[in-house]
Amino acid sequence: MMPYVNEYDTPECKTLAETAKKSIRTPDSLGLDRCIQCGACTASCPAARFTDYSPRHIVKKVLEDDRSVLESEMIWSCFYCYSCNLRCPRNNSPVTIVQVLRQMAINEGIGVEKLAYFLEIGEYLAENGASKIPGPGVKNMERDLGEHWIKFKKNLESIRVELGLSSRDIRNTHGEVQAILEGTGYFEREKWLKAKIQEKRLHQLLKNQCVKKEDKSGDFSFENDRGYTGQAALII
Amino acid sequence: MKTIEDIPDRQLLLFKSCMVGQEYPGVETSTRYVFDRLGVDYCINDEQSCCTGIGHYTDIFEGLTTTAIAARNFAVAKRCGYPNITCLCSTCYAINKEACEVLNTNTEIREKVNSIFREQGLEDLVYEKDDMNVRTNFYHAVEILLSKANKIQEQKKFDFSGVKVAAHHACHYYKVKYLDVLGNPENPQLIDTIAAACGADMVRWYEDRTLTCGMGFSQLHLNKNTSLQVTKKKLDSLQKAGVELMIHMCPNCHIQYDRYQPVIEKEFGVKYDMVHMNIAQFVALSMGADPYKVCGFQTHSVPLEGFLEKYCQ
Repeated sequence: MMPYVNEYDTPECKTLAETAKKSIRTPDSLGLDRCIQCGACTASCPAARFTDYSPRHIVKKVLEDDRSVLESEMIWSCFYCYSCNLRCPRNNSPVTIVQVLRQMAINEGIGVEKLAYFLEIGEYLAENGASKIPGPGVKNMERDLGEHWIKFKKNLESIRVELGLSSRDIRNTHGEVQAILEGTGYFEREKWLKAKIQEKRLHQLLKNQCVKKEDKSGDFSFENDRGYTGQAALII
Repeated sequence: MKTIEDIPDRQLLLFKSCMVGQEYPGVETSTRYVFDRLGVDYCINDEQSCCTGIGHYTDIFEGLTTTAIAARNFAVAKRCGYPNITCLCSTCYAINKEACEVLNTNTEIREKVNSIFREQGLEDLVYEKDDMNVRTNFYHAVEILLSKANKIQEQKKFDFSGVKVAAHHACHYYKVKYLDVLGNPENPQLIDTIAAACGADMVRWYEDRTLTCGMGFSQLHLNKNTSLQVTKKKLDSLQKAGVELMIHMCPNCHIQYDRYQPVIEKEFGVKYDMVHMNIAQFVALSMGADPYKVCGFQTHSVPLEGFLEKYCQ
C-alpha cells in the first residue's frame, strides 16, 4: 500500500531534526538544537515518573537522527501535558516533537492500531460539528463508572433542558466542517488508516498462526525498551 | 505576559466545549449565570464547531485540519461581532491560540487553508493575516472571572470561609502558551485568587501542584494504569493536605478527578474525602445559584450533597 504522508505534520527532510523543526506541530522558535540534555523535561514528566519513558532520551535520539525511535513504544506514552514545554530552559519542546514522531510512525504504519480506538471522532465531527468520547471509550467508562454514569448519560438530555440548554449539543455548521475535512484530505487519510489497520490485524493473525514470535522491539538504547511492550488497550 | 488590565469584558464569544456539553453542562450554565451578574457582554453561537482538540491530541487530526477548523471558528467569531474567543476548556484555548499563531506567521499554511476554503465554495471563511491577534483575542473564562474578583466578592451570598480548598490549574492553559499566562506559569494563582474572593481558605501549595490530572488524551484509554496512577498521586497529596474541595478549570481534568475518583478508590483500595467543582460552578454557587438548576451538580460522580448541606444552608 502506498504510504500516506501528511506533508505539514511531517515534511520530508534529510533528518528527523529538520522534519521536527519544520512541522506545523512545533513552534517556529523550537530550541531543539539548543538542547543541553539537562533532563528538566524528564524530571517534570508524569509519564517518566511511572514508566520508562524519557523525553530527554527521545530528544537525544532525534538529534542523533536515529530513526529507530519511531518504532519505540515509548513515543506513545506521552500525556501531551506540556510540562516539558514549560520547563525547558532552552525553549525546546519535547511534547511537540513527540507529536511529530507519532505522525511519522503513523506514516510508516507503526502504531496505527492505537488510532482505531479514536477514529470515529472525525466522522462524528463532520456530522455534528462537535466531538464526543469515542464508542470504545464509552464502553470502558461504562465498565469503570457503572450504573451511576450510565443513568446520568440516559438522563443527559433532560438535565440539559432543565438547565435551560438545548437537549443535545449539536452545532449548526451548514456542512462547512464536512467540506473542510474533505478539503484537507482528512477522509482520504482516514480511509488509508482504516485499510492499514486491517492489513496489520491480518498480518498479526497470520504471524501468530505460523511464524515464531520474534522480538521486534530491538535495541533502541532505552534501558528497558526491549521488555516494554506498552500497556495493552482495554478494548480495540 | 498578559496583565489583568488587558482582560476584556465586552464582545466575548463564549466558546462551547464538547466535553462540558456532554459531561458537565452545568459549567456552561454557571459561567453564563456569573457573566450575566457581572455585566459581561458575551454571546454563544451554535455555528461554532468543536476545536478538534480531542482528535488532534489523540493523533487523529493532522495540523492542517486543526488549523482550517480553527480558521472557520475565527470567521464565526468575527462575523457575529464577538471576536474575543473565551474558552471553557483549556484545550480549546491552546488549540485556538496555536492555530492563530500558525495562520499569522506561516504564509504557506495560511494560503493552503484559504485555497481549501475557495475550492469548497467557502470564500467567506478566508483568513487574512492578523485577522485575529494571538495575544488579544483568546481567553479562558477563568481569566474573565479573575478580572472581576472584586465584584464577585461584593456580590457573594455565601461565604466559604473555613472551607479548605485547593486549585488545579489546567496544563493546556499555562504550559502550552506559557508566556501568555496571567501571573507566573510556574505557580499559577488564578483559581486561588477567585476562590479566595468567595471566602475559601486556600491550600496554596500542596505536593505535585503542577502535576497533570492524568487524562493524557489517549493515555486514559490506552494506558489506563499509568493514567490513574498519576491521578491517584494528586488525590493522595490533596488528602494529605486535608482538602475538602478541589477546584479546576477544564472539563478534561473534571472528568479525570470527579468521574475517576470513585474508580481509583475501588481499584487501589483507598478513600478520599474531597469533592470537585469547576471554578465557574463555585463562583455561581457562592453568588446564590441553584446547585441543580444552574450548577448542574446532579451530573457529578462524587456526590456534593454532604458539602452543600454543610456549607450552603
